[in-house]
Amino acid sequence: MSAATSNRDKSNTFRLLVPGVVWMILFLVAPIMMILYVSFWTQTTFSINSTLTLDSWKNFFASEAYVGALWTTIRLWLIVLTLTLLIGYPAALFVGLLVKSKTLSTILLVLCVIPFWTSFLIRVLAWRPMLGKEGAINIILQKLGLIDSPIEVLLFSELSVVIGMTQIYVVFMVGPIAFMLGRIDRNIIEAARDLGAGFGRIFWKIVLPLSLPGVVVGAIFVSVMVLGEFATSGALSGRKVNLLGNIIVTQVGSLKWAMASVVGVILTILLGIVVAGFLRIVDLKREI
Amino acid sequence: MESKVLKPILAVYVGLFILFLYGPFIVLGILSFQQGPEGGPQFPIISWSTYWYQHLFGLTPPSRIAPLPVGEALIRSLVLAFMTMVTATVLGVMAAQAFRKRFRGAGIVFYLIVLGMMVPGVLTGLGTSLLANNVVGIERHWWSTAFLAHVVYTFPFAFLVMLAILNRFDGSVEEASWSLGVSPITTFRKVTFPLIFPGVLSAMLFAFTLSFDEFPRTLFASGRDQTLPLAIYGTFSVEIHPNIFAFGVMTTLFSFALLSVYGILMALSVRRAKKMAMQEDIA
Repeated sequence: MSAATSNRDKSNTFRLLVPGVVWMILFLVAPIMMILYVSFWTQTTFSINSTLTLDSWKNFFASEAYVGALWTTIRLWLIVLTLTLLIGYPAALFVGLLVKSKTLSTILLVLCVIPFWTSFLIRVLAWRPMLGKEGAINIILQKLGLIDSPIEVLLFSELSVVIGMTQIYVVFMVGPIAFMLGRIDRNIIEAARDLGAGFGRIFWKIVLPLSLPGVVVGAIFVSVMVLGEFATSGALSGRKVNLLGNIIVTQVGSLKWAMASVVGVILTILLGIVVAGFLRIVDLKREI
Repeated sequence: MESKVLKPILAVYVGLFILFLYGPFIVLGILSFQQGPEGGPQFPIISWSTYWYQHLFGLTPPSRIAPLPVGEALIRSLVLAFMTMVTATVLGVMAAQAFRKRFRGAGIVFYLIVLGMMVPGVLTGLGTSLLANNVVGIERHWWSTAFLAHVVYTFPFAFLVMLAILNRFDGSVEEASWSLGVSPITTFRKVTFPLIFPGVLSAMLFAFTLSFDEFPRTLFASGRDQTLPLAIYGTFSVEIHPNIFAFGVMTTLFSFALLSVYGILMALSVRRAKKMAMQEDIA
């Protein structure tokens, strides 16, 4: 290739990239930098000015409610992550590995994705008639004679938030794991079986390690979404469960931009640690 | 054999799992046929009726339950989703096209773009509104700041879809076109674009539906005028009525209609490609 065409290629690549890159720098990177910057601004009752101060940061760590929200976020994230993995993995195992027919496996995956064609907020709201005091679950349990009086902690509690989030996000765990399981060479499993390995041994020594990249990708998806949540916790807990996201929403609502930014930075750091941690487990670039 | 036992157990489990995914929505669908206007958003069904669907379209006599404020919000959401779809798809096609050649800094650019779908909406929304409100000093609107944030979110999806398509793309047909003296722009229009059209269609579908349903970014970045998800969110804080359930059923039907249009366009483009291939065979 001559130098002239190579140069033309370069400028062509450049022209194609500029709009997208500029868009992301101006409207993604700059806003996130802004959050960090504004977290050090001075907040007065009705306005905010750019005199730098640590006041908002001090206020955050001095407030039981805010630090409590940080712990609630971490606790709920760990619970939902564990549940999506425990509930999702067996389903992925069936869909990705045990189902012999490719068509059936695709149909099952599509079935899992269809609910996503309903508005996210409607899906959250749908849990209310399910979990309420006069909700479907209580009615069924009472009809079956398993309980005498309705279980009240089902709705407007931390439990309802956990149930709602698990249902909404579990599919993001199933998808990547089923994908990785589907790529396992069946001959390896056959070989292990011929050599006398039982199912348990095959699972721990072959299936689980080979599906690990899927678990990590799923865990990153679920973590990013759960840590940034505020709608599910707001709608299903009756404002009893406050996550970092909920604090940001209320602070912005009362024009406390500096405090909202502090919470935003803390959330970003938390996300960074979590994602970096998962990426250390598996080298995704090599695996995929 | 243990797996002989395991498979049926897991099959039952997957059945229950799918019930878990669909359960709330089935309940919501049933309750949308609750009697109105007295019937509440819970069991038992007093008597079956389509009252709440009529209520949604303003066909019922006025009652103490206000109609959902969705009319204008729906139009705004459709316009916003359309604007986002066009912009995100154009940016996505361009960026993915650039990635067909190796270039320095490709890794960084890739992560920069993908970051847009990984950063939670609450952070993008907060940052965008900070920038608009406190630095640039402009008012926030659904068609300005919210639009910018929507493209940040959907552009990565369009980009990844196009990247997957272009990875399987045979570049020699383009080279043939160039060597015949056809200009790069005409080549793109006549050769490349028809070949990548299924990918473009998928990218558009992603961008449109993601934007149409986008909530956290819009909550922060749009101003007074509500989009559809914001209007729905507004009803959360007050008492809910079965009209919101009826609305949920309607939006789902709308999504399926959109999906059908996508399916038809996809089938048509596949058929056209087959036809062209057959003509080539004959020639």
